[in-house]
Amino acid sequence: MASVHESLYFNPMMTNGVVHANVFGIKDWVTPYKISVLALLYEMTTSKPIALQERRRLNKLILPLQQGPDLTLDQFLKTVEECCPQTAYAVKLRLHEMADGELKDMEYFFATLPTPFSAIDSEAYKTSVVGLFMRHMLLAYNKLSFSQVYKLYKALQQYYHSHYSQPGDVQVGLAADDSDMDLTSTEDNVGERMEKEELDTRPEVVDRGPLSQKQAEYFLARQAYLLKNDENKALKPSALQDELNNMLKFNPDFAEAHYLSYLNSMRVQDIFISTHSLLHYFDRLILSGSEGKSNGDEGYGRSLRYAALNLAALHCRFGHYQQADLALQEAIRIAQESNDHVCLQHCLSWLYTLEQMKGSDSSVLTEDSVKMAAHFCLPYLVSLGIQSLVQQGAVQGKTAHELMDALKDTDILHWKHSLSELIDISLAQTTSIWRMYGKSTMAQQQAQLLLNMNSLEQVNFGVQQNNTEAFAVALCHLAELHAEQGLYGAVSEVLKHLKEQFPPHTQHAKLWMLCDLKIQFDRAMNDGKYHLAEPHVTAIAALNKTEGLYRKAQVLKALNRTTEAYSILQRLQLYCEKTKYTEMIIRVMLVTAELHWESSGFATALPLLLQALALARQHHLQALASETILHLAFTQLMLGVPEQALGVLHEAMEPILAHGAVMDKGRALLLAARCQMAMAGTRSNGQRHAALGLAVQSLGEAAAYFSMLDCKERLRDVHYLQARLHHTLGQTPQRNKCAMLFRLLDQELQAPGAAVPLL
Amino acid sequence: DKCAVSIRPVIICFIPHTGNLISCLDSTFGDLVQIKKQLISVISLCKERGLVHSVKWASELAFALDPLPKNELPPSATFTEEDAQDMDALGLAKSYFDLKEYDRAAYFLRGCRSQKAYFLYMYSRYLSGEKKKDDETVDSLGPLEKGQVRNEALRELRVELSKKHSAGELDGFTLYLYGVVLRKLDLLKEAVDVFVEATHALPLHWGAWLELCNLITNIDMLKSLSLPDCWIRDFFIAHMYTELQMIKEALQKYQSLIESGFSKSTYIVSQIAVAYHNIRDIDQALALFNELREQDPFRIENMDTFSNLLYVRSMKPELSYLAHNLVGIDKYRVETCCVIGNYYSLRSQHEKAALYFQRALKLNPRCLGAWTLMGHEYMEMKNTSAAIQAYRHAIEVNKRDYRAWYGLGQTYEILKMPFYCLYYYRKAHQLRPNDSRMLVALGESYEKLSQHVEAKKCYWRAYTVGDVERMALLKLAKLHEQLNESDDAAQCYIIYIQDIFSCGEQLEHAEVSTALRYLGQYYFKNKLYEEASLCAQRCCDYNDAREEGKALLRQISQVRDHMEASNTTPVRRVSPLDLSSFSP
Repeated sequence: MASVHESLYFNPMMTNGVVHANVFGIKDWVTPYKISVLALLYEMTTSKPIALQERRRLNKLILPLQQGPDLTLDQFLKTVEECCPQTAYAVKLRLHEMADGELKDMEYFFATLPTPFSAIDSEAYKTSVVGLFMRHMLLAYNKLSFSQVYKLYKALQQYYHSHYSQPGDVQVGLAADDSDMDLTSTEDNVGERMEKEELDTRPEVVDRGPLSQKQAEYFLARQAYLLKNDENKALKPSALQDELNNMLKFNPDFAEAHYLSYLNSMRVQDIFISTHSLLHYFDRLILSGSEGKSNGDEGYGRSLRYAALNLAALHCRFGHYQQADLALQEAIRIAQESNDHVCLQHCLSWLYTLEQMKGSDSSVLTEDSVKMAAHFCLPYLVSLGIQSLVQQGAVQGKTAHELMDALKDTDILHWKHSLSELIDISLAQTTSIWRMYGKSTMAQQQAQLLLNMNSLEQVNFGVQQNNTEAFAVALCHLAELHAEQGLYGAVSEVLKHLKEQFPPHTQHAKLWMLCDLKIQFDRAMNDGKYHLAEPHVTAIAALNKTEGLYRKAQVLKALNRTTEAYSILQRLQLYCEKTKYTEMIIRVMLVTAELHWESSGFATALPLLLQALALARQHHLQALASETILHLAFTQLMLGVPEQALGVLHEAMEPILAHGAVMDKGRALLLAARCQMAMAGTRSNGQRHAALGLAVQSLGEAAAYFSMLDCKERLRDVHYLQARLHHTLGQTPQRNKCAMLFRLLDQELQAPGAAVPLL
Repeated sequence: DKCAVSIRPVIICFIPHTGNLISCLDSTFGDLVQIKKQLISVISLCKERGLVHSVKWASELAFALDPLPKNELPPSATFTEEDAQDMDALGLAKSYFDLKEYDRAAYFLRGCRSQKAYFLYMYSRYLSGEKKKDDETVDSLGPLEKGQVRNEALRELRVELSKKHSAGELDGFTLYLYGVVLRKLDLLKEAVDVFVEATHALPLHWGAWLELCNLITNIDMLKSLSLPDCWIRDFFIAHMYTELQMIKEALQKYQSLIESGFSKSTYIVSQIAVAYHNIRDIDQALALFNELREQDPFRIENMDTFSNLLYVRSMKPELSYLAHNLVGIDKYRVETCCVIGNYYSLRSQHEKAALYFQRALKLNPRCLGAWTLMGHEYMEMKNTSAAIQAYRHAIEVNKRDYRAWYGLGQTYEILKMPFYCLYYYRKAHQLRPNDSRMLVALGESYEKLSQHVEAKKCYWRAYTVGDVERMALLKLAKLHEQLNESDDAAQCYIIYIQDIFSCGEQLEHAEVSTALRYLGQYYFKNKLYEEASLCAQRCCDYNDAREEGKALLRQISQVRDHMEASNTTPVRRVSPLDLSSFSP
């Protein structure tokens, strides 16, 4: 039975086997809501002058009203009332005239609308936004058949009366009598309606009418823009998916909705739906692109290539490198066959990205890509390639001026072509490079520059783009820089912002998670709370394996489990040498040297430290070089050559005080004081006093730095040394004070078993 | 079940002779006379209510049974007082109803009190809504509004029917209508419950069973339902098995139905034929369809399936005869259009074929097969984009249409995107895990992507699930050959040859000679000269391998001469090929 009736249904959009989404070219049609908007426009153009401010508010309202989804009359009138109550009343009156009058009233309304073609001076001129809208509406209205006009009128009546039939509405008086007349039965009207509502399981879904094509396009554009630029302002993933499903139910041919669905499911890491939507989108796109175009550059062959490329990108995002590789090869092959150089370039840039993600060296590929992209005038790909090269170069120890030069060149390119996204990346990259070289001030300045810069992109929907990776990186650096200076309040502010801006499920959330964990770990280690640091290690390892191993070795060393720590460090060093991760190699060497200290193997630590120093200098890693020097000085001190130690230390003192973390500053000063003390022992009495005075001074500064970080173990040592010095110098009150401070801290720190940091 | 209990007395007082309808709950086929009686009474009941499709089904079945003697005929329905009162109004309304003037019919029935009148009243209102909906659809404003057109009467009907339902005042027919209304409102869960109730109240109404069938999606759901224990239930279960692709079980069911006395039923014959078609037992299906056409020459239903079979067998004259015959009967039927489409397709007139599939779709856009077939036509015409569109539409109508997924995969394969098409083939494979064609297609794609391990797995799996085209092993062997895994390749060739010879029929693309040639060389290399010479001799039976066979024989005899001098025993590594029992 069902099938018999459905057979009456045919699809008028189908010609030659292809269903065209819009064979009549109608993107919009008249609905009761649209009539209300028309009435508003009519009132605005014809009625007596409205106050300037109100007019301005109304003008601002026009575009959202035209583009947005259909509102109920309640919502509509409320919005207008907020701007201008007088106009709202006039609009209501006009609608009342139509809805409670006869069909001819509506026909009269359309007849009296100012035609955009005649009115040259008015706002409704034919090419204006308002004029265009009115023309659309008039055209759509004139195309309606007899029964459709009647249906529209019925819908208008219903639209108008549903506004008044809501319980608790005060303004019933205006239309109450008539609304009763419309309904056939008299008495149990309300009861029945209530029941109907009760029975309706999903009132919201049923009540939402379909969007017209215009409205749908606007909705999609807005949501896509928000997804790209500020995800938090877009609809929640589930709500957005509901909307999209609804839209697709009414118009399955609306391909763009599938693409948005793909983006949306990427947000929640749903590979199943995202693959499905992506392929569906391209299946649809292939059709729309095929009309009147050949298989070549512009036709559906093109979308085929990009379909494969997008599939590769998708697999890349989910970390399926093998799949991504296959898809990419396919894209490359098709692009080669059809001589599409632009597509090939895109493929190439994905290829080196993929290689990089897989962890292999891709600088040759990248260089090729840059050259070719420059040849085909694709500035975006050129500078993206250069940036990638800079990143690789920085890791491999290219000289600083080369890198900076390259970045400067790309910056010129960016500004010339207004590639705001790449400018952001470039700034974030400079921040990272400065940070790597140990120039914290420069890094901070670059990060601030990025965060305070006004983007070149247009600000749509009141949202500026600030959820890219570049921003996340800069903010993470900022957080770490503040942590180094012991400004933990600021750190938590920055992290809070990061958490809001990049919610945990998003793509770049891992960056701040790692950063947060590292900071917490460092704090726990500095405080000597190794049991707190331990759980962080697992979390860090989940996000970054190398970093996790390194931290694990640190914890093990602190817990005196030397053998385990040593084996981990050996493994780590081998791995890092293979992947050319210089920073980590140096760090591993330093920790290994510290392990040697524990077993009093100061002499064995020396060559290791020298090697580390050479590496650090070769790669211009100033922060690490300074730290290595600290280690070196300490080793020399322990080997009984304090003069040498102090000499070496002076070399590092300046950069540490200028750029170093608070911790390093304290350590350096403490070490200096110890060297001075050791040297004082060999000198004559007068000189000795002066030298010891210097040492007291250094210790005072070191104590100030350590107390900033609340680093109790080191503080205890400092107080002990201070007390000893004051004792030697015969300054009893100061000695007593320091001794008391030492005693207090010592009582607090009665945790046996853990190693006290030597340096 | 509370409702079922409360409804039954209503039916009995309203149709006293349904006593025998209820008695049919003791499911036995022993008494065909009883069944016939039940069918005759249900036919008249449905007829009075305008349920034409159920009347047709029951009548077909009744026709298949032996006629009853005059005294055995069931008494015509007895009237209650209410029926007598409503008789005139009912008669008038029924005539309007038959003329498709539903609103008019409903108007004259509004005051009637009898159950029969009430059903017709509600049914007219429902149909009026449906008819208006269809008219609206043609007249709709734009593509987006299409989905919005609704049967406005549905919600009112639901409110009224649910009231009566909770009061327990609905009989079997109205329950059925209530279920239909619920289904149309997408309240599927409630609809299933109501249909089950309807089958309990009136087991013989086939329409309710059929609606239920459309709502059941898997076997677990089917098992969880409590259905009335009646002979008609077996028909339902058999139909359900066919729908759920459990062909073996379905065939068993139908066989037992035939054995219990329904051997003349065209309905069962057609269902069995469709089932055979689904498992691609083409000969059986063809035979049954021919039988069906003899019994019922003006039948149009299922003839599209018949034409598919003729198409697969490339039986041009038969297909042409069928097409012309059907056009003579009714040219504006979906089935007719599909048959003509197939006919043109077989004659390689793909434009015309596509045109006729389009026409079928205009007649019924939810006709799944036509979308897929149209996709195939566009593929033939190398219009890939239109093909993709057609397949996508088919998937939209039914996500589980494996042929459309497979077609999409093929399209992309033709566009030389083997990785891209993997997704589609995988989808198809998911839906038909035991279909070798998808597995072979998957294997081929993997092979193109140089994913040899996956490719081998696919081919082997395709062989184990019963390879229809007998290509999987050959491909697997060639792949092994390519990878220099000669032992595995030889093994595959051996199985392949045994397979080809044992199936008996001649296959066009069989490459026995290739296999023999390779095996000959292989045995020769492994110094198994006996087997090698056997293969070489067999090679000589084939034109394309004759020369090589002879050359190999010469080589063998040379080496043998040489060997007799040295006399060493070769190491046996692969079991020899036993060809003695087969003849090419």
